Amino acid sequence: MHAVDSPATAPPAPAPTAPSTRDRPRARRRRPQWTPLFLALPALVLLAGLLAYPLGRMLILSFQDMTLRHLFSGSTPPWVGLDNYKQILTDGVFWGVVRRTAIFTVVSVTISIVLGLGVALLMQRVSNGVRIAMVIVMMFVWAIPQLVSAQIFKWMVDADFGVLNYMIDQIPGVDFANHSWFADPTQGWIVITTLVVWAGIPFLAITLHAGLTQVPQELREAALVDGANAWQTLRNIILPVLRPLIIIVTTLSVIWNFGLFTQVWALRDSKPEQEYQTLATYAFTQAFGRNEYSLGSAISVITVLLMLGVMAFYVRQMFQIGDVD
Amino acid sequence: MSTTPRSQRSRAGTVAANTVGVLFVIVMAFPVYWVLNTAFKPASEVLSFTPSFIPEHPTLDNFKSAIKAPFFLVDLRNGLIITTTAVAGAIVVGFLAALAIARFRFYGRRSLIMVILGVQLVPLLALLIPLYLMLNRANLTNSLIGVTVTYLVLILPYTVWTLRGFIAAVPRELDEAALVDGCSRWQTFYRIILPLTGPGLVATSIYGFIQAWNEFIIINTLNNPETQNLMAWLLQNQTNRGTAWGPLMAGALITSLPVVVFFLLVQRNIAVGLTAGAVKG
Repeated sequence: MHAVDSPATAPPAPAPTAPSTRDRPRARRRRPQWTPLFLALPALVLLAGLLAYPLGRMLILSFQDMTLRHLFSGSTPPWVGLDNYKQILTDGVFWGVVRRTAIFTVVSVTISIVLGLGVALLMQRVSNGVRIAMVIVMMFVWAIPQLVSAQIFKWMVDADFGVLNYMIDQIPGVDFANHSWFADPTQGWIVITTLVVWAGIPFLAITLHAGLTQVPQELREAALVDGANAWQTLRNIILPVLRPLIIIVTTLSVIWNFGLFTQVWALRDSKPEQEYQTLATYAFTQAFGRNEYSLGSAISVITVLLMLGVMAFYVRQMFQIGDVD
Repeated sequence: MSTTPRSQRSRAGTVAANTVGVLFVIVMAFPVYWVLNTAFKPASEVLSFTPSFIPEHPTLDNFKSAIKAPFFLVDLRNGLIITTTAVAGAIVVGFLAALAIARFRFYGRRSLIMVILGVQLVPLLALLIPLYLMLNRANLTNSLIGVTVTYLVLILPYTVWTLRGFIAAVPRELDEAALVDGCSRWQTFYRIILPLTGPGLVATSIYGFIQAWNEFIIINTLNNPETQNLMAWLLQNQTNRGTAWGPLMAGALITSLPVVVFFLLVQRNIAVGLTAGAVKG
């Protein structure tokens, strides 16, 4: 069935540590180990104070009922046990938000990865001049701050003076004058997804293209000699070699897109309608829009729990690749 | 089978690929072109039902009114102070921690690496509620100090992780040679490691600058307009004057200019930090 029996499917074994580097730590082991701890101390203190402590505080807050009154008086909010979680988990609105965020993540990540890989492969096929133009454009797109790119898109899809409506309107028989892209949530989400994919492609395409240059030329030539077509070469040679890299960038994209906030926030004028709420905007709106700090915290805790598996997977992958030790 | 059909097919393939490539460039570049086009148009051309694809009467009015807008200069100054202080702090603290991870084996090293990799993935917004309550309690909202320290900690994990890579790239043999030649540990550090990681320090600080400069959610929640940065200004500006697209696009250009320039300088190093080692082949 496979035209090419690829030796490239072997997983990249972590590089064996040279014996010399193994000896060195042993030689150092007799020294007291205060120096490294002393060096890492300032970083540890800052991370503990402003990352670990707030995370713990958030967890505690989610079991309390904190309101504006407690914020001003500084008194300890009453403990309410699992009430916040019960309220959230039995709320249909919350599950709608979870579903929407999950669907958006799956759709946007799939499109981004497929397009990113397609562009990376295209970059190998085009002439030098075109490739340079592609890289330059992607660099600029990559460099634009998220908030700014969201505002550019908001301007382009503006109902009255947006260039998108004007261009679609030019098609004979189509009337798109004053068309509002956000009246219908499906269309609105198409705009948001386009924005996220557009902004995400440069990182994916450039990283995957760098990975593609690592595919040994001999393997491709061998596949060609054996009569493999383009699809078989992609499936049996290129994808297996790229696998670790694709896994990492997919994991990162899932984490980033699941936390979608800026684009929705900017496109919906800092007050997203119910149909545009994601987990991130929902937690923020509950906490700061309605002063329900405890409910917001509980939603954040659930969000982190939902993502924990993916995050642990990323950290494990980084260790497995073997760059860490 | 002769080679001619294959090379012909491949030539046709290259033409097709180039066509798709050029189309891709046009689609990707269009939003960038459109913001430039809008920023240099007078208001009458911006608010037109038939948009012109090149400004007919190019003008700098939009830039002038963006700069004159309330809080623009204050927020520009705030942004510069906050960002440079946070980056400087993160580089000093981060370099020490990176040195510990790259050059020493110690109890808890592996957990420290895991924490540093892991916290980069915690959604920022999850931290915002407790952070707000903490800083509010300490009277550090509406001040530059609160956000500066927050940004320092936000860019710290990436800083440590990237600098670790740069330090690890300096051969240990150099350290040892210096020690054998009679250098103290401190001299080894500033004569060997510091100069050799110089470019890495520059790249890492620039990336930190971009991160801190682009942040607006935290500062918009913690501070009022007098103590915000340009990104938050841009968000406010949008809400308050919904249809002033010309000045908004001009403001957006001014705000992203330092970031875009810096980014183009250090792009090569950024992807490396996130996917380190995955491209070893």
